[in-house]
Order: sequence, then C-alpha cells, then structure tokens
Amino acid sequence: MNGLVFDIEEFAVYDGPGIRTAIFLKGCPLGCEWCHNPEGMSPKPTRVRTLSLCARCGVCDAVCDNPDECSACGKCARACPNSCIRIAGRWMEPEEAARRVLRNERLLALSGGGVTFSGGEPLMQPDFVIETARALGGVHRCIETSGYASVLVFERVIDAMDFIIMDIKIIDSSVHKRYTGVDNASILRNLDILISSGKNFRIRVPLIPTVNDTRENLRQTAGLIAGAKRLEKAELLRYNKSAGAKYAGAGMQYNPSFPVDVDPNVYIDIFKEMGIPCDVL
Amino acid sequence: MRRSLTAEQWDDISRKIQSSTLTLAQRAALRFKLFLEYESDWIDAAERIPARRTLASFPDIYAPGEKERLTSGFHVHEQGRVCNISSDWAGVLREGLLPRRERCAPETVQCIDAALEYADRYGDERLSQAMRTGASSFLDALRMFRILHFCLWASNVYHNTVGRFDQYMYPYYVADKQNIGLDSATVLSLLEEFFLSFNRDSDLYQGMQQGDNGQSMMLGGCDRDGRCAVNELTSLCITASLNIRKIDPKINLRVDKNTPLELLVKCTELTRLGLGFPQYSNDDIVIPALVKLGYSIEDARDYTVAACWEFIIPGLAMDIPNIDAISLAGAADTVIRAKLAQCRSFAQLLEEVRAELFARADALEAALKPIWIEPAPFQSALMSDPTRDISEGAKYNNYGIHGTGFATAVDQLAAVKKYIYDERSIDPNALLDAMNDAFARSAELKYKLRAEAPKLGRDSECEPIADYLLDAFADSWAGRKNERGGVFRPGTGSAMYYLWHADELGALADGHMPGEPLSANFSPSLLVSDAGPLSVIQAMARPGIARVINGGPLTLELSDTVFKNDESLEKVGQLVRGFIILGGHQMQLNAVNRQTLLSAQHDPDNHRGLIVRVWGWSGHFVQLDKSYQDQIIKRTSYKV
Repeated sequence: MNGLVFDIEEFAVYDGPGIRTAIFLKGCPLGCEWCHNPEGMSPKPTRVRTLSLCARCGVCDAVCDNPDECSACGKCARACPNSCIRIAGRWMEPEEAARRVLRNERLLALSGGGVTFSGGEPLMQPDFVIETARALGGVHRCIETSGYASVLVFERVIDAMDFIIMDIKIIDSSVHKRYTGVDNASILRNLDILISSGKNFRIRVPLIPTVNDTRENLRQTAGLIAGAKRLEKAELLRYNKSAGAKYAGAGMQYNPSFPVDVDPNVYIDIFKEMGIPCDVL
Repeated sequence: MRRSLTAEQWDDISRKIQSSTLTLAQRAALRFKLFLEYESDWIDAAERIPARRTLASFPDIYAPGEKERLTSGFHVHEQGRVCNISSDWAGVLREGLLPRRERCAPETVQCIDAALEYADRYGDERLSQAMRTGASSFLDALRMFRILHFCLWASNVYHNTVGRFDQYMYPYYVADKQNIGLDSATVLSLLEEFFLSFNRDSDLYQGMQQGDNGQSMMLGGCDRDGRCAVNELTSLCITASLNIRKIDPKINLRVDKNTPLELLVKCTELTRLGLGFPQYSNDDIVIPALVKLGYSIEDARDYTVAACWEFIIPGLAMDIPNIDAISLAGAADTVIRAKLAQCRSFAQLLEEVRAELFARADALEAALKPIWIEPAPFQSALMSDPTRDISEGAKYNNYGIHGTGFATAVDQLAAVKKYIYDERSIDPNALLDAMNDAFARSAELKYKLRAEAPKLGRDSECEPIADYLLDAFADSWAGRKNERGGVFRPGTGSAMYYLWHADELGALADGHMPGEPLSANFSPSLLVSDAGPLSVIQAMARPGIARVINGGPLTLELSDTVFKNDESLEKVGQLVRGFIILGGHQMQLNAVNRQTLLSAQHDPDNHRGLIVRVWGWSGHFVQLDKSYQDQIIKRTSYKV
C-alpha cells in the first residue's frame, strides 16, 4: 500500500528520543484552528508556493491546463523561473520510505533515535505506516498522532511502534468539536487503549490561548494520564505564533477565532503535582 | 582610542626605515622598534591584560614604488608577508626571549630588545622577567602572551593565530592551583578579560573582510605522545567564550571518537549563540593524513589551525596553507563544454576531468614560483628555531591549495551521467546550447537540472563521483615539490574563492546560473534546499578526504529553533559525534534564522551585533559586503 508523503525531515529533534527522521503523511481528519502544517491537511497532493520568491511573472498561469481546479500535476512547478512552486505530497512505496530512513541508520542508532511517523495524521494511512515500520527492521519506531481513528486501526498501528506520542488537545467534547472539527470520544477511548497497551508513550498538549489553557482543562487532562505506568512525560507546546505563515502559500486562509497574540497559560504545576514529569516546548 | 602620526612624523619615520643602505630585514627590525617606541607613550600600566594599539597605520619598509620593483617577476602571496602561521607559544612562554636572543640574527636581536623595552614600560618586574626568562604564573603567562601577540601585529605579520592555548597554558594553571590556590572562578575571570583583549584592536586587523583576522584558538586534542590532552582549561575556555560572546578568539576543538558527549554539548551552547564556532577537527582522520603528507607523528599530533581551518604545526611550519585555489566547479565545466559531445562514455568524461585537473595543477605550480616573502625578524624570534628568518622557511614548507565548488563539480557530472549517458534523455548539444543562453529558452530543463537532478548531500548516487573527484584532485598534486622542498596539500577549503571563482562561471550542467555563488568549503551546493543534515553528513564524510587534507570544513546551517532546550542541544552534540564516528574530517555548525538575516540586510542599524560565519571566520553581518551577505542568506535554505 503506497503512502502519500508530504515531507521527510532528517534531524527531527522534538519528535521522540534521540535523533530522528520524521515522515510526514498527508491528510488529516481534524481541522485544528492552530494547525501549523496546512499543507498536510488535504489527503491529496496539493500545490504550495513560496510567495516571497514569486515575481508575479504569470508563467505558472500560462502553462496551466486546469485553471479551475488544481490537479497538482506539477506543470507550473517545472515552468516557474524562480523555482517557487512545489507539489506537496508524493506517493511512495513503503520500501522507498524505509530506504530513505535506513540510509542514515547508523547516525540514528548512535544517538538512540529512529523514525517518527507524523503528519497530517498518520493513522489515516495505517497500512503504509505498518508496512514501512516492518521494512525498517531494527530501527526504533515512533508515531505522533492525534489518536483519532477506529479502535482497530489504532491498535494495529501502535502494535507496530516502539514509542507513541499522542496529543490530548481538549477534554470537553463540544469545545473539541468547535476547534478541531471532530468529537473527541474516539481519541479518549484510544487513550485508554494506549495506557493499557504496555507501550511507552508521551502525551502532548498544545497550549492554545483561551481555548484549552485553562486550569480546568489541564487538570482533567492530567487526571487522565496520572499514574500511567508507561507514560514517559507530558509535553506542553506553546501555541506557535508563526502557525499562519504557510497558509497563503498553500492557497488557504488562516482564520483562527482565538486571540493569536496572547501568551497561553503554562500551568506546568498541575502536571507536576500529580507526579507527571512535564516539559514545556 | 586611535590616533595618527603627523605628516612630519610620517615623513621622518619613512625616511629612516626606507633607507636604501638598510637590508629589508634591517628595515623591518627598525620599523618594529620605532613602532613600539611610538606606542610606548600611550600604554596604560594599570591594565591587567596589557597592550592596546593606538596607531591605525605606520609607514611601510618600502619607498614608494620600490615594492613593485622588487617583487616584479615574483609570485607575491597576498600582501607578500609572513601570515597564517602558528608561533611556538609553548616554548616562548616557558623560556622567555633571552635564550633565543643568544642564537638569532642581529635583526631578530634588535626586535627582541625592542619588545623587551616595550614590556618594561609597564613597570611590572614580573612581566619584564617573564619576557626575559619565561613566565612563572598563569597571569604572567597571559600578560606575556598578550604583549608578544600585540608585537606580532605591530611587526606587520598578520593572521596571528593563538594555537593550542589550553595545552601551553595548562602547566601554569596547575602550578598556580597547587602553589597559590588559584581557583576556577579567578581563572575564568582572567580568561574572559584575556579573550576580550583580542577584540580591542581587531578593527585594524582586517583580512578580506572585517573579522577575517586569523585569531583562532585550538582546544582539546592529544599530546605529542598521543594521550588525550583535554583538561580543565579546555572547558574553562569554552565557558569564557560563552560568557563574553565575541567573535575573537575563534574557538576550535580537536575531537576524536572518544571525545565525551558533554564536551560536544557544551560546544553546542557556543554554536547556539550564533557565533559561528566552534569548528571541529577530527584527530582520527587528520593526524594520520598529516603523517602521510610527511609530518612526523609527534608533530602531527600537535597540529592546530592557521587562520581558518588549514592544519599547521606550531613553531615548526612556514607552510603557506592558502597559497591558491583550483576551481573544481570550473574544471568540470570546462570539460563538459569541450568534451561532452565527443566522449562516448561517462568513464571517458571523468578521465578528461582528471586530465584537466592535472593541467590546472601544472599551470598553477609554475605560477607560484619564485615566491616573494618579506623578512619577518620578530616572528622569527617566536619560532622553535629562531636562528633563521622564518620568511626563508622552516622544518615544514608545504603549500595548501584550496578546491572550490567541490559539490557543484560533482553535481554537474552527476547530472550529465544521468541524463546524457545513463538515461540518454537529453541530447548533449541541446544541453550545451541551453547552458550557453543560460536556460533562457528552456525553463523545464533548468527546473529538471536544479530540482530533480542528483545532488551531493541529498542523493547517494553522487557519492562515487565525489570519491573519484577527491582522488583525482589528490593525484593531480601528489609527488610535486614546491621550490622550498615542501609538498602541495590539496584541500577542501574555499576561502573567498567561492565568490571569485563563481564570477568566472556561466550557466552549468547542474542548473547553476551565472552570478550565483558557490557553497563555501566542503558543503553541498546552494541549489540543494531539501537535503537533510544526516544525509549531508553521511555524504561528506568521505574516505578520500584523507588525501585532500589541507583543511576546509563541512558547514551545516541549522535553524536556531533546533537549540531550544537541553534535550535538543544534546542531539546537536550527538550529530557532531556521528560526523566524527563516520569519519568526517572537519565540521562547523551555524545556528541561523533566515528572517533575522533578511531583516539585518534591510535594517543594519538595529542588527549591529549580529554575528555570522563567513568562510573560515566569524564576522558582523552588517559589516560584510552584500555579496557575502547574500551567499550566507542562500546557505540558510537547508530545511531543518
């Protein structure tokens, strides 16, 4: 089963233990208002432009065969005299993705690192993830996920992993739906599965000003994971103020309904008081 | 505080030191003596770390027009003076100048006396004694070093390197700890003050650009017997540099596969500051390679770097490690333009590249002689053998030849191999035509070559070509001797040739456009925007580097977001360790923020403190010519 990959990033330092190569899979069932990877949302190849390099010369429009709806054919990318267009998303066989990782196997192993499947939402392409993980032999395997998937898919994928990094964004289901577009019932159910899976894991909470940085939400979040035996730590990620930077280039609009200039509350004490190791990134 | 000589003073001094009855060595000695006499009136005896230059300029030893006449028919390297070498700091600090005074030429005696007299003006008995018979405390050694280093600059030699500072200062540190209970906090504050002194006069010590002054310090490594020589000073020096945050002295660290991760992580903190150093040199690769070039094993183990990255032996070498450069990118282009249509196979084309490198070596070798170097009587006093003027040579007299545009050369050949010979998907004449009009009518071909063709650092298929090119470059200089009996050391540095050689290039077979810069030193082409650091490290840690060992690092630009917390800092340290273990020879990392650089270009006033790595040295971004600024901005396209 081929996978749609929109980036492979070497030397990912915030995506699991050691030095890692991150494979970013395209397509996400959530639509978080604060997403900083808009090019990863659509489950199809899409066109991305680096607007700062664009000279507005019009060559891309002149060569386009599908001006009404972009088919991501890449013709404009090849024609652009300033090399400012690329197609995000390339279909790749698991073996090819594995080869890219294995090329640096020694460097990854020397640091206790490995591969991390990220996205988008890697659980949307479970067969590709599992097959790639299998093809990676002894490389340490990690996934970064929202946890949004069926129980079956979730169990199959985490079974193929050595380490799981899962987001818990918002506990209140209606607030979750409002800001991410989906209900969180399946996420919370999968969190239970993760806790009892015997797999080592890390929990991430993006801190979005006024959305989920309340004491109540963080207390509930911490309550769900306190005492979990295999929990390595919780990581609080401050809202990325440059999250909106890539939207225009991806042909999308960034319209967050929360105040982007406010610094979020960082109630790290809530986690520490419940005995949960916690870092802020 | 700066001042100038009056017109009368200038004329008077010129008349004296340019006298036709004096030899050039005598003139150099007299110039040095007079210079120090003028500076003596302005000393501040209260300074704990002494010496401050007040005269921005001083007359030269040549009468107007005389230098041109004398040097006609010679090869004049840079300014025609001794530069880029490393003094025997260990020996001089230990013995003082008097034992050397017994054995050296009269001009050097005159210089030693002038330096002693200058030091005496500080009215410090201990300093005067140290200068004569050697330092006996840590502070004395620092003060003495400072006077000698100041004198070197005053003597008109330049790129005066600091050498293996933590090694030659260690005996004084240990003795003071035992004898007078010197504690680490005092040492650190002394080091900070001492380090700051390198920045006092550096505005006057300009090379190609402000900041290019060769005040490089080497830390770590092994001793002459091969034992690990990392000591407490190694770490204290790094801390001092972290605390003062200045571009001088430029910190280098010798490493090997056993270097503790904590030391690498500590150095990563320096990288995080954006100072553009430390630069790492891998003993596991460098020492055996220097031995193969003819250095004794003990001397090889004692290596340091000249101004930037060129390996040099303190006290014993009059190597000219940057005497000239071969444009590797240009050699590949010449062959592609002249021979592509005729060569039936890629192997045949590679043979032509090899022949072109030999032809370029022949021409360059002939152009480098006879060489002109002005006598340097004071520098001679600081060498291991002070009996001979250093400008005439020393134990080692090797010449270093930079190789510019290595990655661009490999990429051109890789593109041609793929599209002309393997796939046969591009007609050779169509490619040459497109190159001749800079792809003006072939945007798709340009895109293919720039974005899709194999690139060194990203695509492993380039690596066999890289190995071939390294070997051919090494072979083209092997067995040649320079007129001083030394060998040639081809290397992977570029110095400023990455801009100069780029000016000679048109459009290339890898999609490079006229006017685009080449990458500095041993780094992937600037056209590669999507190579990851792991693949780059793996691609550049090539076994063939052992024969191309003049120095010249892999430069990796990492986004400053990689340096956020302790965990990520440790991972950067692990990246360095990985490079060492894979067999890389030299590396230097930069923490950069592309947006900051762009802002600095538009608003220099608010970015006066922004420091960047240029080629082998760090400088203030806003003081660089725009062409250098632009190249640095282009380098930041690595996506990390």
